Amino acid sequence: MMNGISRPESTVGLWYRYQRRLAPYIFISPFYILFVVFALGPLIAAFYFSMVKWAGTGPMTFLGAGNYLELFEDRIFLKSLGNTTYYAIGSVFVILPLALLLALMINAAVVRVKSLFRVAFIMPLLTSTVAATIMFLLMFEHQYGLFNAVLDAIGLTPLKWLDEELVKLSVLLVAAWRYTGLNMLYFLAGLQSIPPDVYEAAAVDGAGRWTTFWLITLPLLRPVSLFVVVITIIGSFQFFAEPLLLAGGGPNNASLTIANYLYRVGFQFLRMGYASAIGYVLAFIIFILTLLQLKLFGAFERT
Amino acid sequence: MQYRLNLWPKVESVCAHALLAGGLLYMSIPFMWMVGASFKKQSEIFQAPPTILPDQPVISNYIELFIEFNFLRHFLNSAFLAIVHTLLYLFFCALAGYAFAKYDFRLKNLLFLLLLGSMMVPGYTLFVPLFVLAIRLKLVDSYIGVLLPGIVGAFGIFFMKQNMESVPNELLDAARIDGTTEFGAFWRIARPLARPALAVLAVLAFLNSWNDFVWPLVILRTRELQTLPVILAGMIGLYRMEYGIVMAGSFLSALPVLILFLSMQRSFVQGLTVGALRG
Repeated sequence: MMNGISRPESTVGLWYRYQRRLAPYIFISPFYILFVVFALGPLIAAFYFSMVKWAGTGPMTFLGAGNYLELFEDRIFLKSLGNTTYYAIGSVFVILPLALLLALMINAAVVRVKSLFRVAFIMPLLTSTVAATIMFLLMFEHQYGLFNAVLDAIGLTPLKWLDEELVKLSVLLVAAWRYTGLNMLYFLAGLQSIPPDVYEAAAVDGAGRWTTFWLITLPLLRPVSLFVVVITIIGSFQFFAEPLLLAGGGPNNASLTIANYLYRVGFQFLRMGYASAIGYVLAFIIFILTLLQLKLFGAFERT
Repeated sequence: MQYRLNLWPKVESVCAHALLAGGLLYMSIPFMWMVGASFKKQSEIFQAPPTILPDQPVISNYIELFIEFNFLRHFLNSAFLAIVHTLLYLFFCALAGYAFAKYDFRLKNLLFLLLLGSMMVPGYTLFVPLFVLAIRLKLVDSYIGVLLPGIVGAFGIFFMKQNMESVPNELLDAARIDGTTEFGAFWRIARPLARPALAVLAVLAFLNSWNDFVWPLVILRTRELQTLPVILAGMIGLYRMEYGIVMAGSFLSALPVLILFLSMQRSFVQGLTVGALRG
């Protein structure tokens, strides 16, 4: 009798306890299943592929470090590495300071209609890279584009924006259009999280504008700056659509990025092994740069 | 001295506004240029000096876009993929974020570290093996192949974890005492409370899928199935590029996300920056 009553209760209790214990694992399992199948597995496979010669189908020939050795003598790869570095440096030293300057101005009390600026600066980010690049393609047009019309109007010689000398700058102009606003928002969020009493204390101590900026604002922006610099560099090293659509990576590979070259080698030349080696070098560069920045900004020091 | 005190803020304000206006102009002119060109005939686009507003507006670009390039079909393809992606991504990220925020379990810290670390692996490194895998699993040229690798992601889980932390434990415990399962507690208590965060993540997820270019380019082979960005990019390479039509297509493809964003601008801007401050 006692058994008859307690039994159903205890099985319900057992099931109830089990679903409590297992719930978190079940809830996180979709990510880890997909992670193993679509990230970890491919990452290991890519490492193996990077050591073989393979056209995607048919037999594989083992090369060892052959693909990597070839990379260091591959002129086009080295050029794409140089171009990508140019984009990364340009993004960090031109787009980011500009974004910070704009954020400082919007944050300053003197500026009105802040929300208008916020909306205007974020709209480019919502536009797809494809649409954005198409807009600029027409504006860079040598004879009929807007940029040259402006240069002409102020009495300067029109430029060949998509020629070998200028194409990287043009790509950077598209990048500036698309990403300045986002980085500005990040800086703005950082600026707004600085408590006002810090500034009041500095003013009481008689610190000027400039001193306040260098000794208070900039150090307190360090976490945000780290975040922004890291994602900017990671993003620049994965630049793909802008140079491809603006100039097809050309002319004469002048705008080609590492990702463009990887795509070309893998999916047009069907050299899957070589493309995987490029992918690994790219991952390695990003990994090293990220670690360097973390160290540079002192993220490893516990505060 | 008196002068300097009165004048300096004004000079500063004028300079700041001038620079911001310059930025504003640079940000908005490409849009105007695109919209303007989409209503121009090819002959007016190739006219010096260029016009911002069309002299003789025409809608032929839009008509050709729909008839010759089957625009509606590709628009609907993109919309379908973006909506399904958004729903699945929100569900799985919210569930996992909730688990990381509200449970203690073995290996939790290690698993979370792995999750954060996975964000560092560049997508292009996985490109070749992912494509090979897609062929083996017969996912090429199918929407499952486009969607599957992205239905849950590290960023979304991290974002939802941060927001799920603030769901009160008392409410969850009260639901448990009433006999709700763990999933029931998530679905009926945590999910409604996290609605603002879910809205922000929804816009981001929609945006990512809507604007995605590389993955559909690789996975989809049949032109009818292809998404908008790939079709637009394909128009650039055409022998005789019709700028007006491409601009009309770009404009219409940018419109849904612009409307989505403007309708929930404030919470979006706040949500976007949530990760940056904790860096």
